[in-house]
Amino acid sequence: MPSHPMSRLRLLLAGLALIMAPALQAQDSVIVIDPDAPPGDSTVVEGGPPSEVVDELIAAYNDSAATRTQGDVTFPEGSSFTGRLAHFRGSLRLAGRISGPVTVVNATLYLLPGAEVNGDILVVGGRLIRSAGARHDGAERIFWDAAPVLRSPEGTLEVRDRRRPLGDLAAARASFQTGKVRTTLSLATGGTYNRVEGLPIVFGPLFELRLTEGTRARLDMRGVLRTAGGGAHLSSDFGYSIRGEIRSSSAGIGGRVYGEVAAIEDQPLSAAESGWSAFLLQRDYHDYFERLGGEGYAWVRPVRPVRLEVSLRRDHERSVRATDPWSLLRNSDRWRRNPLIDDGHYFIAGVDLTFDTRNHRDMPSTGWYFKARYEHGTSDDVTPISLPITIRPPVPVGGGYGFDKLSLDFRRYSRLTPSLRLNARLRAVGWVGGDRLPVQRRVSLGGTDLLPGYDFRAFTCAQPGYSDPADPALCDRSIMTQVEVRTRLGLNLGYRLREKEGGRTGRFIGIEEADLVFLGDFGKAWLAGDGPGQVPVNRIPSLDEWEADIGVGLDTGVIGLYLAKALSGGEPVKLFARLQRRF
Amino acid sequence: MAPCRRSAPGAWRAWAAVAALAPAGLTAQAVPPVQLEVRLAAPSASGSHAPIVQSKHLLSDERWVSALRSGLPLRLHYRLEVWRSREGWFDNFERETQWDVVVRHEPLLDHYSVLTIVGGRGQERRFATLDALSAALGVSFQVNVQPGSSGRYYYAATVEISTLSDSDLDELRRFLEGGPDDPGGKGKVGDVLGRGATRLLLRIAGLPTLRLEARSEEFEITP
Repeated sequence: MPSHPMSRLRLLLAGLALIMAPALQAQDSVIVIDPDAPPGDSTVVEGGPPSEVVDELIAAYNDSAATRTQGDVTFPEGSSFTGRLAHFRGSLRLAGRISGPVTVVNATLYLLPGAEVNGDILVVGGRLIRSAGARHDGAERIFWDAAPVLRSPEGTLEVRDRRRPLGDLAAARASFQTGKVRTTLSLATGGTYNRVEGLPIVFGPLFELRLTEGTRARLDMRGVLRTAGGGAHLSSDFGYSIRGEIRSSSAGIGGRVYGEVAAIEDQPLSAAESGWSAFLLQRDYHDYFERLGGEGYAWVRPVRPVRLEVSLRRDHERSVRATDPWSLLRNSDRWRRNPLIDDGHYFIAGVDLTFDTRNHRDMPSTGWYFKARYEHGTSDDVTPISLPITIRPPVPVGGGYGFDKLSLDFRRYSRLTPSLRLNARLRAVGWVGGDRLPVQRRVSLGGTDLLPGYDFRAFTCAQPGYSDPADPALCDRSIMTQVEVRTRLGLNLGYRLREKEGGRTGRFIGIEEADLVFLGDFGKAWLAGDGPGQVPVNRIPSLDEWEADIGVGLDTGVIGLYLAKALSGGEPVKLFARLQRRF
Repeated sequence: MAPCRRSAPGAWRAWAAVAALAPAGLTAQAVPPVQLEVRLAAPSASGSHAPIVQSKHLLSDERWVSALRSGLPLRLHYRLEVWRSREGWFDNFERETQWDVVVRHEPLLDHYSVLTIVGGRGQERRFATLDALSAALGVSFQVNVQPGSSGRYYYAATVEISTLSDSDLDELRRFLEGGPDDPGGKGKVGDVLGRGATRLLLRIAGLPTLRLEARSEEFEITP
């Protein structure tokens, strides 16, 4: 070997990158490395068998007609088996005659001399090792990557869940297979707690039928039991959602009928966070209305990051009242009133476009996210609440009411160095045409998510002299920009368990690391029009009228604590907690 | 292709073990040796060849399987160099590329995870059986580093196989999660000494290390 004294100087060869196609299969025998590609951003891509294959595998294994084996199993020479054979873990050695499909999960399949298999073979999480003299008639599909499945106490396979967020903890689920139909019974909370329903308990069956290789039909029937619906003027103490859908990996069509309580705005907290806030502190940061109706929708996914959906919906939307559900702290306080909405029957046509290249849905570190929704709504029997003309011109009643609303959410997650991440978001929501929006589609700013340096609903567009204890969102439009810089800190707040043997370090109990977050927010909510305090409909407010705040926080991944300070208005420093990323 | 060479700190132990097991080995099935190969891909339009690097039979050596099952991750550090052959004179080093493969056993799931890291990007895959893991570790890496100018060239590849300590793995994980310390970064003096001591202890404890080298055939690019 020749000497190479210059090699150290060339260690950091710029642009070293690994070209790994997302669909790379384990059995691909060549990985291509391109040293001249742009440098990577420390992203780890999770490999694994395609989800459709995992679904197929589970269905085949859980098929009640299948004969299931486990561990190291041998079918000796001269033996004969007819039917569906499904094997889990260890190894399956076949030297006899098998008539029927063979499914092998996280195990090695050996076709020994004399083996004669007549049927398709699917191996996921193992290899097929074939000896000379073995014969196979049928299709073969082999995936080396382990199938992310567990064997339940009942002997069936189920998908191994990843760590669940706090909002999903209280849930029970059981699945079983009857012929071609897979049934899942579930009992869970609605993922929130609110001052209209209390703790909604969601229960019911989900039926799934595999129609063809890549097509499935689903019927999802959920009932909702409301624990605090008595005084809410809901149409019933029970809600429901029944959804039928036929889908493949690239397209789907479905319909749904429902009687449910919906939130008016999706900020300043997620449903799960708002639920925890309501349950612990009697602070419910959402407003609600009831909707009963049905919808039909269709979607396509021409390429993986892009999803386009069109939907048509017919709703009866009704005002509901806040009740007095129990809360852990401040239980004797009064809940904030739930605002009245513009009751009526609405016909809503919507188009949704999503472009998502994030590497992780909940905790992304790189990628783009863009979501746009346009909706056109009409109503012939709207009963509008009374609002000052400075907030909303009179709404036509008795027919002909129509409005258009557009929502845009544009995000970029980027890693500048291995230790530094920069995330940015632009969010714009509001009226774009037709009559002015009904109350249940109006917007506001202020509060934990979008402008945490200001109080909840600090900017509702309520004019001087107008007072409503429910403090409803009344703005026509809002626009927000958010920027945050994250860097990882080693905290070591806790204790590391020591393993008995060898004294090696073991699991850490406590907070070992957290993201130090610097944040800034800049935005405005306004009424559109030519009146006093309004902004012309074809313009956005000048930047010197926008509100801004800055802040700092520690995000452990499960909970984040932040301090934020408004840059105008003399607001004190605000302390707030989040159970998920800000965006 | 030149034959592989190995140089291991515990080589004397391996020889002793071979000597002790020789009588038993007379009846045992031959175990294929761990190998590193570098071969040439089909020529491109310019007449250049990309190198294809492949390690073989890694898990036929029981030491690595044993280390994995003892909870010690394995690190395979690959380095590929491009050399220009100058007959009658010292050869000229042109460029170099490195990448890593880290293998771990996850005892709760009884899975093996394989993390391939190149240029700050990683791909993690899991395997449920040693057969599948062995096959995955035997995949070929085609490296697009072929030289452009005329001359005679060859590729030299090395793979260093070692066991990672917990702190090594923590560093690697922090690097991939965007943590403050990257594997090649400078930490506190105490940390560095501690890590060095840990590595030394791991080596003294007899944990295996192995270095393989291979060289491709020469090829010529004409002007």
